Amino acid sequence: MTSEEIVKKIKENLADIVQNTDLPQGDAVIFVAPDSLQSVAEFLKNDADLKFDYLSDVRGVDYLLEEREPRFEAVYQLYSIDNQHSIRLRVGIEEDNPSVPTVSNLWKGALYPEQELFDMFGINVEGHPTMERLIMPKDWEGFPLRKDYPLTTETVAFSHNRDFKSELVKSKPPTR
Amino acid sequence: MSVTEQGLLERDKDTMTLNMGPQHPSTHGVFRVILEMDGEVVKTAEPEIGYLHTGIEKTSENKRYVHVIPMTDRLDYLNPPGNNLAFCLSTEKLLGIEIPDRANALRVIMCELARIASHLVWLGTHALDIGAMTVFLYCWREREMILDLNEEISGVRMMTSYIRVGGVAKDATRSWLDGILDFIQYFPAKVDEYERLLTKNPIWLDRTQGIGSFTREEAINWSLSGPALRASGVNWDIRKSQPYSGYENYNFEVPVQNNGDIFDRYRVRIEEMRQSRSIIQQVLENLPGGPYKDPDNKVSLPARETLHTSMEALIHHFKLVSEGISVPKGETYVPIEGARGEVGFYIVSDGTNVPSRVKLRAPSFMAIPGMCKMMEGCYIADVVGIIGSIDIVMGEVDR
Repeated sequence: MTSEEIVKKIKENLADIVQNTDLPQGDAVIFVAPDSLQSVAEFLKNDADLKFDYLSDVRGVDYLLEEREPRFEAVYQLYSIDNQHSIRLRVGIEEDNPSVPTVSNLWKGALYPEQELFDMFGINVEGHPTMERLIMPKDWEGFPLRKDYPLTTETVAFSHNRDFKSELVKSKPPTR
Repeated sequence: MSVTEQGLLERDKDTMTLNMGPQHPSTHGVFRVILEMDGEVVKTAEPEIGYLHTGIEKTSENKRYVHVIPMTDRLDYLNPPGNNLAFCLSTEKLLGIEIPDRANALRVIMCELARIASHLVWLGTHALDIGAMTVFLYCWREREMILDLNEEISGVRMMTSYIRVGGVAKDATRSWLDGILDFIQYFPAKVDEYERLLTKNPIWLDRTQGIGSFTREEAINWSLSGPALRASGVNWDIRKSQPYSGYENYNFEVPVQNNGDIFDRYRVRIEEMRQSRSIIQQVLENLPGGPYKDPDNKVSLPARETLHTSMEALIHHFKLVSEGISVPKGETYVPIEGARGEVGFYIVSDGTNVPSRVKLRAPSFMAIPGMCKMMEGCYIADVVGIIGSIDIVMGEVDR
């Protein structure tokens, strides 16, 4: 199926659930609220024409600098091995108490990227079996890929700046 | 309850917890897995990653597009051109530019050479893990030739950064093309040589056949990709299903096996090396002429000699070097077939010269939970075989 047909089919079947659809550069993209992610994902996986049986990736995006609502987004890239077509699901997530239901019950491959979503963005994935740090150390504070988490340099301690502590570094805004 | 808190042995249980890695020669980098052993059989395997985290995705959000390319080399350090290409394709899709035919052909040559080099590293180390020392030395010998070719075209042996937004860094030289021609004539006999050492070797067969099996459904559900998925009977190669860089113009077969065990992954990769060689041969036979990068100097640097004569070229050069490319607002993802599977960069642009979000879809990262699932029920000696057969690269796992 072409991207247009996929979007059309989803519009027909899930008109009241899907928030919006788009076709940027020919890719099929649909916008879904976190509450309806589970039902949309189930439909996409089980529908005979669509049959998105392969989960490519789940990634988080922080739109803080663009000042739009909602702030976070989880993007699911799905692919159908038999039908050779793909779709992108964009799920907007509120800034307060960010959370999204898991899709690892449908695609086991989602376990790791969803855990990374928590690790890097602090988005709580409901129903995920291991909601803990994945890449960062277990006792790490803060969520590194959020836009308000500054990218800083670590000052190398020489004898002339031994007392230089990271106060200055912490106050530094993200570099551009 | 982690191993380090309790010591290696927890004696109050029937099972034994065994720590493997991160500094283990057979884990291919700093991969740690905590095995719960019932005698010699693995009951559960719990992966632990993050030892090589370098924050490349965060750093990318603060660098210009051109500056991200050298960092993508360091992600999957055995297949740098694949990562360069994935990043450039996503950026080019947002920019909406067409790439000249010659640039596409040179990209394909680089990617296929890198695939052969990567599979040679895999075969050498994998065979070494299982106990076949000779193959390792032979593989390194051939890989060295590819690294020399890399050096000749890009100046660097491994981290080539040869593929750039809008084309490639440098045009192919006569001697480089001759060197590739020599290599592809020399190489097929060597693949047969590896096969003679391993394919019918009874020790190799005992250690690989029927071990670490994944069915078609399991492999898809656990998001394996590339050779590991094709060994489970899934005929999916992105070069065929979603062609990029002119792969639709070349004739090649996608090797597929059905058992999904270590041996079948070995067979798939061996055959892929032959197919890659055939692709390179086809590219060389019909190497198009013309420019090797986008002639529109809004994206790629103007030719060095024009800077002395053309005011326009000088302005373009100054703007590109001092400011970089500004990419239109949007988000996109272009998957490619890397040496380990589906590689792709999800790029979100806010319209400036710095990407707002760069996310690598790393095949090794996605394969780790599935790989640990395979270990369950295996003997401990097979764990290294399974890790080797998935061919993980920790650079792209931890990023």
